[in-house]
Amino acid sequence: MSSRTVEIAPKAGLHARPASKFVEVVQEYEADIKISDPSTEEKPVDAGSMLAITGLGLKKGEEMEIEAEGSDAEEAIDALEEVITTPEE
Amino acid sequence: MSSKELQSLISEETIELDREFENKIDAIKGLLQLIDDTGNVKDREKALNALKEREEEATTGVGKGIGIPHAKTEAVTEPAAAFIRAEDGVDFDAADGEPARLLFMLLFPEGTEDEYLEVLSSISRSLIHDDVREKLLNAETPENAFEIIEEEVSE
Repeated sequence: MSSRTVEIAPKAGLHARPASKFVEVVQEYEADIKISDPSTEEKPVDAGSMLAITGLGLKKGEEMEIEAEGSDAEEAIDALEEVITTPEE
Repeated sequence: MSSKELQSLISEETIELDREFENKIDAIKGLLQLIDDTGNVKDREKALNALKEREEEATTGVGKGIGIPHAKTEAVTEPAAAFIRAEDGVDFDAADGEPARLLFMLLFPEGTEDEYLEVLSSISRSLIHDDVREKLLNAETPENAFEIIEEEVSE
């Protein structure tokens, strides 16, 4: 399993357009992808679920942990990191 | 009272069960009307435009039969919320394709970034649980739905 901790860059946090983009990218990969808020003890949630992402409520500057399992796990994490670290206008 | 709590933003007056809607915009107008009826919306058109803009940016149909249309707008001075259970599912453009029956609306004044995200995330976290959605789908009266929101849909 691969995992990486990334910092949220978009101004409104992982919400609205960046969140929707994130889910789209998750669906492009075979890997089983989960995300969590490393500042809590909560269990990782399904990265392909908008409800689960909204539930994390991650704000700009906060960290998110992405974990992926599968043949394209590393590529998936690279692509997701790009979404998360791209500041929105 | 913590601003995180949906229960402080919603009341039986802003809850309605088993409404029928043609589409997403129709549902959004129905939710907004409930909040407007309480006298908390200064400018209905402005609020509606903010909600529509937010939907254009990305749908608030978050899947599992839930829609949470929301916006920050000068049209309100205090945060406000409404809940409608749709009789039949409304197409909310959710990624999972599931029509939405549990519809929550949140309106926040400008400049309330954090509170707004906290209420949204606390609603979402509660609704991830199948049993909470089931309870809301089975609520018999607005009073009953309010009790469920009070007990389950807040932190």
